[in-house]
Amino acid sequence: MTRTPLRPLARILEAREKGENPDVIERENLDQRHEDLRDGARMRAEGRLLVLGVFFFVAFSVVGARMGLMAASEAHEPRAQASGAAIVATRADIVDRNGRVLATNLSTNSLYAQPLQMVDPVRSAHALVEIFPDLEAEKLIKQFTGGRKFLWIKKKISPEQQQAVFDIGEPGLLFGPREMRLYPNGRLAAHILGGASFGREGVHSAEVIGVAGVEKAMDSTLRDPARNGAPVQLSIDLTVQSAIRQVLYGGMKLMNAKGAMAVLMEINSGEVISMVSLPDFDPNDRPDLPTTGDAGDSPLFNRAVQGVYELGSVFKIFNMAMALEDGHVTPTSMVDTTGPMRWGRYRIRDFHNYGPHLSATDVIVKSSNVGSARLALQAGAERQQEFLGDLGFFTPTPVELVEAPYAKPLLPKNWSDIVVMTASYGHGFSSSPLHLATGYASLLNGGTKVTPTLLKREGPVPVGPRIVQSEVSEAARSMLRQVVVRGTARFGEVPGYAVGGKTGTADKPKPRGGYYKDRVVATFASVFPAHDPKFVLIVSLDEPSENSGPKPRRTAGWTAVPVAAEVIRRTAPLLGLRPEIEPVPEDKLLLSSN
Amino acid sequence: MSYLEYKIKTVPTGITKILYLNWPLVLLLTAVASVGFLMLFSVAGGNMQPWAEPQMKRFGLGMAAMFVIAMVPIWFWRNMAGLAYAVSILLLLLVEFFGFSGGGAQRWIDLGFMRLQPSELTKISMVMILAAYYDWLEVERISHPIWVLVPMALILVPTFLVLKQPDLGTAILLVAGGGIMMFIAGVHWAYFIAVIIAGVAVVYTALLSRGTDWQLLKDYQFRRIDTFLDPSTDPLGAGYNITQSKIALGSGGFSGRGFMQGTQSRLNFLPEKHTDFIFTTLAEEFGFVGAISLLVLYGLILMFCITSALTNNDRFGSLVTLGVAATFFLFFAVNMAMVMGLMPVVGVPLPLISYGGTAMIALLAAFGLAQSAHVHKPRGK
Repeated sequence: MTRTPLRPLARILEAREKGENPDVIERENLDQRHEDLRDGARMRAEGRLLVLGVFFFVAFSVVGARMGLMAASEAHEPRAQASGAAIVATRADIVDRNGRVLATNLSTNSLYAQPLQMVDPVRSAHALVEIFPDLEAEKLIKQFTGGRKFLWIKKKISPEQQQAVFDIGEPGLLFGPREMRLYPNGRLAAHILGGASFGREGVHSAEVIGVAGVEKAMDSTLRDPARNGAPVQLSIDLTVQSAIRQVLYGGMKLMNAKGAMAVLMEINSGEVISMVSLPDFDPNDRPDLPTTGDAGDSPLFNRAVQGVYELGSVFKIFNMAMALEDGHVTPTSMVDTTGPMRWGRYRIRDFHNYGPHLSATDVIVKSSNVGSARLALQAGAERQQEFLGDLGFFTPTPVELVEAPYAKPLLPKNWSDIVVMTASYGHGFSSSPLHLATGYASLLNGGTKVTPTLLKREGPVPVGPRIVQSEVSEAARSMLRQVVVRGTARFGEVPGYAVGGKTGTADKPKPRGGYYKDRVVATFASVFPAHDPKFVLIVSLDEPSENSGPKPRRTAGWTAVPVAAEVIRRTAPLLGLRPEIEPVPEDKLLLSSN
Repeated sequence: MSYLEYKIKTVPTGITKILYLNWPLVLLLTAVASVGFLMLFSVAGGNMQPWAEPQMKRFGLGMAAMFVIAMVPIWFWRNMAGLAYAVSILLLLLVEFFGFSGGGAQRWIDLGFMRLQPSELTKISMVMILAAYYDWLEVERISHPIWVLVPMALILVPTFLVLKQPDLGTAILLVAGGGIMMFIAGVHWAYFIAVIIAGVAVVYTALLSRGTDWQLLKDYQFRRIDTFLDPSTDPLGAGYNITQSKIALGSGGFSGRGFMQGTQSRLNFLPEKHTDFIFTTLAEEFGFVGAISLLVLYGLILMFCITSALTNNDRFGSLVTLGVAATFFLFFAVNMAMVMGLMPVVGVPLPLISYGGTAMIALLAAFGLAQSAHVHKPRGK
C-alpha cells in the first residue's frame, strides 16, 4: 500500500511562503486518508454483502427447486421389503397343468415385542392372552419384564388378530410383514406340494423355504430371481386329483383300510396326472414329524412314493411279458401249473389248485404263482434282473419330490433261484407304487420306457428305449383285459372304457420276518382303454377288509378293484376319454372270403 | 466507523423511537409466527392445546423482549457483548455439569420457572461479540493472521461445548454463522478457501475412520449419513423421517390437500411433526404454493435486514443486523434442506414456526438487537 505523505514538503514550503499554517495541510490530508479508508472498507463490505446475497439467493433457488420437484413427484409408499431385499425374492407360485393355483404367497404379519418400549407389560400380557389363548400370561410377564430387548410372540397372525393387538395400544408390541405360503386347496395334493416354512427371519421379512415335496425339491427354482416369478407348472390335474381323492377316501373307509394310495399316469409321457396318499394332511398347517410309532402310518408319509411294499401278483405281467419277448411262450401255449411246487424248504402254491396246465393267458387271468415261477426259472436270474432293471425297479424314481431319491427299492442281497421264483409274482423284493405305475406304463404303451415326472411336459415326448416288442405289449394288454373280463378283477369293468388290469394281494411282512395271515396290501394295477392305452392307474389299499360276507374278504378283487373301477368311472370323462365300444378282436379262424 | 464519530443528536430519543422501528420486519415476523400457530393448531388435530397456545404466549413474550431490546440504545448492547458472551460460555459449562437431558442430549438448565437452553443464547452472544470485535478492530488488521485467530477462538470455544452436549445442528449453525460474520467483516478470501479445503479433508478422514478403533463419529452419526445418502436403505428405521416427509411433500402437490387435511402428519406417521419436521405439514396442507410463500416471507425478512444493514453507517449495528439475518437464514435453510433430503438430519428447528420456547424467544430477542441497530443508526452527518 503506497501512502501519500501527510506533510508533503513541497506543499508545506509553499504554504510557509504564503504564511499559512502547514498543520492545516496535515489535517486535510489526514481527513482525506480516513475518508479513503472508510470508502475502501465500505466498498469491500458491500462487495461481500453482494456475495452473501448471491449465496442466499442460490440457497433459496435450490430449496425452491427441490420443493417444486418433490411437489410434482407422485407420492408413493416405500416398500418395507427394500430393507431386506437380499433374502426376499418372492417365491414363485405352483400351478396345476391347467394353470390353477396349487401354492401361492400371502402377506400376513408377525407379532413381536420390544419390552423396553412397553408402557404396561402386565396389562399387555393379559390382553395378549385374551387374543391368543395358547399364550401364558405368567410367562409373557416374565419375558416382558426380564430386561430382554426383543422377542417373537407370534410368527403369523390374521388381520383380525392384528387389529385386536393394535387395539391394546401398547407401543412395545410391533408387527413385521411376513410372506406366507398358502395352499388354497388344502389337503388336495398335500404330499406332492409338501410344504414350506420360514428360514432366516428378520423383523421386516422372512425367507420362505420348502420343507418337503415339490416345494423342497424345486426350492432353488422357485426362488430363482431370474425366473421373474414365473409359476412352476406341475403335471397334476386339480379336478382329477380332487375326484380321485374323494373316491379313494370313500373306498378306504368302505374297505376298512388304514391307508390308501392312487397314482394316475399318462401312459406315453410318464406325466403323473394325479397322486393321492391317505391319510393326508393340510400343508398350510403341516404336522410335526412323528417321534413315536411307525413312520409309515404318519399322514406325512407319501405311500405312493415313499411306501416300498411287496406288491404281489401285479408283477406277474412283467414276468409274462419277459417270457413272451424271449419267445418261451405264446399267449395260447400251455404252462405247467402242477402244484404245490417245492424248492428246497420252500413251497409255492396257488390260491386255488388250477390243475396241471393253464394257457399262458390263463396264468395271468387266474393269477397262478406256480405257472409264473416256472416261466421265471426258464428265463433265469440274470435275464429277470435285467428285465426288471430296464423297467426301473432297481433304482429310485426320478420324480421331482425330495422324498423320491430316498425311497430305494428293497432288493435281496443274493438273487438266488427262490428269489427268481418269488419275484415272478411280486414277492421277495419291494418297490413303490410309483415304480409300479412306471413299469406298467413302459410295458403297455407299446413297449418303450417312460420316465415319471410331476412337471408338465412341454413339446413332444422323447421316446424311451424299447423294452418289449409292440406285439408283446399288445398281448400283455389283451391278457390284462381278460383278467377284468373273466378273471380276478371282474369288479373292475367300467362300461365304455375297456379297463385291463392285474390284481395283487400281498401279505404284509412282519417286522421280524415271516408274513401276517390277516394283513395284506391289496393292489390293482390297471390300464385303460386296453385297446388304445392312454392311462395307467394304480390303486392300493393298506390292510383292507371287506366285511359284507360271512368272512372278511381281503383280496384285491374284492377291495382295491371296485375302488379303482369307481375312480376310472369318475375320472375318465375328466380326462377327456369318451366311452367307446370295444373293437372285437379279429378272430383269425373266422376269416371269410366271398 | 464507530458510533462515537457521529453526533448522537441525530438519533431519535424517547417515545419517538417507536416510529423509527423497522415495522415491516415486525409485520413479517408476526406473519411467519402466525403460519406457525396455524400449523401447530392443525398438527394437534384442530386444537389449541398442547402446542398452539403455549407457542402464542411465547411469541408474545418474545415480541415484548424484542421491543424492550429495541428501545435500548445499540451502544449499550455493544458494551454488553463481552459480558453476554462470557455468560453464555458459563451457562454452556453449567449444562455440561448440571444439565438435564432431553432427547438423548444434555441441553437444558432448569431455572425453576423455565428451562433454559444456553446454546440458543450462545447464537446471539456470538453474533454480538464478533460484531463488537470487528467494530473495535482497525480495518487494516482484519486479515492479519493473529487477528483472524481471535474470532476463530471466539467461535470454536462455544462450538466445542455445544458439540459435547451433543448438538450437531447448533454446532453447525454456530460455525457457519460465525464464518459468515467474518466474511462480511472483510477477512481475506484465502482464509475461507483454506478452511473449506480443510473441512473437506476432515470429513473425508472422518468417513475413512469408520470401523477403525479411532473412528471420529458415533455409529448413529454414520448411520445418519448412510441414511441421508440413501434413505430407502432403512425406510422404517433411521430413514423414516425423511421418507415420510418426502411422501408428505409429494402428497401436497401444487396446491396442497387443504388446511387440516394433511394425512402424513395428522395420522401420526411423522415423529417430530410439531418441531423439526413441521415444514412437511405445511407442504402437505398448503402444497408447493404454501411452501414457496413461506420461503418468500423468509426472503423478505432477510431483505429488510440487509437493507437496514446497508443503510447503517454504524459498523457494530450493521454487523449485528447481518449476523442476526445470517443466523436466521441458516436456521431455515438447514431445516428445509434437512426436511427435503438435501442434508442429513441434524435437528435444527424451523425458525418461528417449530414448537419450542427458548429458540423462539432467543430469535425474537436477536431481532430486537437488529431493531435497536435500526432505530439507533446514525442519521445524517
